[in-house]
Amino acid sequence: MTSAPKRIWILDVLMLPVGIVVFFPFYLIIINTFKSLKETASSPMSLPKEWIFSNYAHVIRETPLLRSMGNSATITISSVILMVLIGAMAAYPVVFNSNKLNRGLTVYLLAGFMIPFQTTLIPLFQLMTDLSLINKIYGLVILYMGGAVFVFFLMMGYMKTIPKELVEAATIDGCSVWGIFWRIILPLLKPITVTSIIYQTMWIWNDFLAPMLFLNSQSKATLVLQIYKAKGEFSVNWPMFMTLTVISLVPIFIFFIVMQKQIVKGIVGGAIKG
Amino acid sequence: MVRLMRQLQFQIFILPILIVYTLFSIYPLIKSFVLSFTNFDGYTKAYDFVGLKNYDLIFSDDAIVSGMSYTLIFAFFSTMLITALAIPLALILDQRFYTSKLHRAIFFFPSIPSGLLLAYIWGFILAPISSGVFNKVLKELFNLGPQPWLSDPLLAKLSTIVVAAWASTGWHAVLYLAFLQSIPKDYYEAAAIDGANRWQQIRHITIPLLAPAMTISVMLLLTGGLKVFEIPFALTRGGPGFETHTITQVIVLRGISETQYGLASAMSIVFFLIVLLIAYFQVTFMQKREERNR
Repeated sequence: MTSAPKRIWILDVLMLPVGIVVFFPFYLIIINTFKSLKETASSPMSLPKEWIFSNYAHVIRETPLLRSMGNSATITISSVILMVLIGAMAAYPVVFNSNKLNRGLTVYLLAGFMIPFQTTLIPLFQLMTDLSLINKIYGLVILYMGGAVFVFFLMMGYMKTIPKELVEAATIDGCSVWGIFWRIILPLLKPITVTSIIYQTMWIWNDFLAPMLFLNSQSKATLVLQIYKAKGEFSVNWPMFMTLTVISLVPIFIFFIVMQKQIVKGIVGGAIKG
Repeated sequence: MVRLMRQLQFQIFILPILIVYTLFSIYPLIKSFVLSFTNFDGYTKAYDFVGLKNYDLIFSDDAIVSGMSYTLIFAFFSTMLITALAIPLALILDQRFYTSKLHRAIFFFPSIPSGLLLAYIWGFILAPISSGVFNKVLKELFNLGPQPWLSDPLLAKLSTIVVAAWASTGWHAVLYLAFLQSIPKDYYEAAAIDGANRWQQIRHITIPLLAPAMTISVMLLLTGGLKVFEIPFALTRGGPGFETHTITQVIVLRGISETQYGLASAMSIVFFLIVLLIAYFQVTFMQKREERNR
């Protein structure tokens, strides 16, 4: 048996400049948050001559950034929980009570993959207005629930790997349809639930189009919407805008660090099944 | 009776998704289709059916025509560029070197924040004036004058595609990497014994076995590319003129802002058909290719 292949150090040397170039935009926004407007304009790339921290205090005081962060968190967490729940629920009869009706409904639901949000946008706008769901945080959450079709698809694939005997045995033991789902099936879905949560969280947290169309008051804005509005307000005040950007990146950065392994596994799992 | 009760209990579980999905996807799709044959303007409740007039108007509307052509250009070239970069990147990241984990994280990270935010950062870098970061670099390295990266029709298109590639290449490289790591090591050992060099191994083992990954990655890139909105919107605001307007931006402009519901609906139906057609041909074509390689 030979030992593990040697590390190819030449790749370290070759990849270093490429990595620097790819990371450069992030370096740029971080260092410029510590500069004055004048210094950012004259020397955007160098480290600050004098480190200024007042941009952070100013942004937190002057913009409703923390509030937007709270809105984003509320919208993301509630829609992801609801989507995972109704997606998993829908997969349950399809897998464990397969009949003609459920097979037909599966086709009906999966057709939704091909419908771009853009195509439904105009009637959606009218529908949301008619139901007076515009400019309401829960309105957006209800709208996002339509995205549960993707969760349904992931869940269905995963549930098929659960042995049918498990459900049959529980039925003979007198467990109800309702009880089997909550006590036996749901706990077994943990791995695919993590995948679903990652995909849906990244989509909703970063979504711009739906909040832009359906939330219009400043107090209800999501983080991405706040960045869009700040770009208009600060227009050329780049240090201020970048400070806002850096703060807004903190939650998603923590999410990335904590979930890194699961994110990579989840993407692959989702993509292979998708 | 007991059996029927059980059946009913099972069916209750699928009800919630059927309701939200029908209400927020199927109903609007059908309504879009119906509206596309009308002159509905959103103000008066009454509207007339105008046949195919809206579909006819699409092709004489400058914004719509450039929106469609830019979206197709973006989807095609960003897919090509990202695929051409992600496969070699995955091959490199698959090797053993000291900073491989660090590089994986660096390349992957841009796919985490919102596209809007990333595009704004690049707006700072590519600012067309001489104070733009990139123009400064060019001046110092090659003594080049300021280039209008975001305001020249061709350069603006190029910039949006390059920024999209920067943002997504790492994500797709990770996808390829997972497939690479599932290739059994014995294949390479057997090929090495038969005298195949490293390049021949890549050409005849790695690339064919990556075909399924490529089908998935290219499909995601193409469909995602057709739905592009945030990067051009934040980077160039769709300009100069309508040069980098996306289909999405045109639907919002004509439909929501100008309330030309009929016209915008016709356009969104055409868009739906384009997405369907491209996805269908891409998947059938690439699956055939997978089988040929087998």
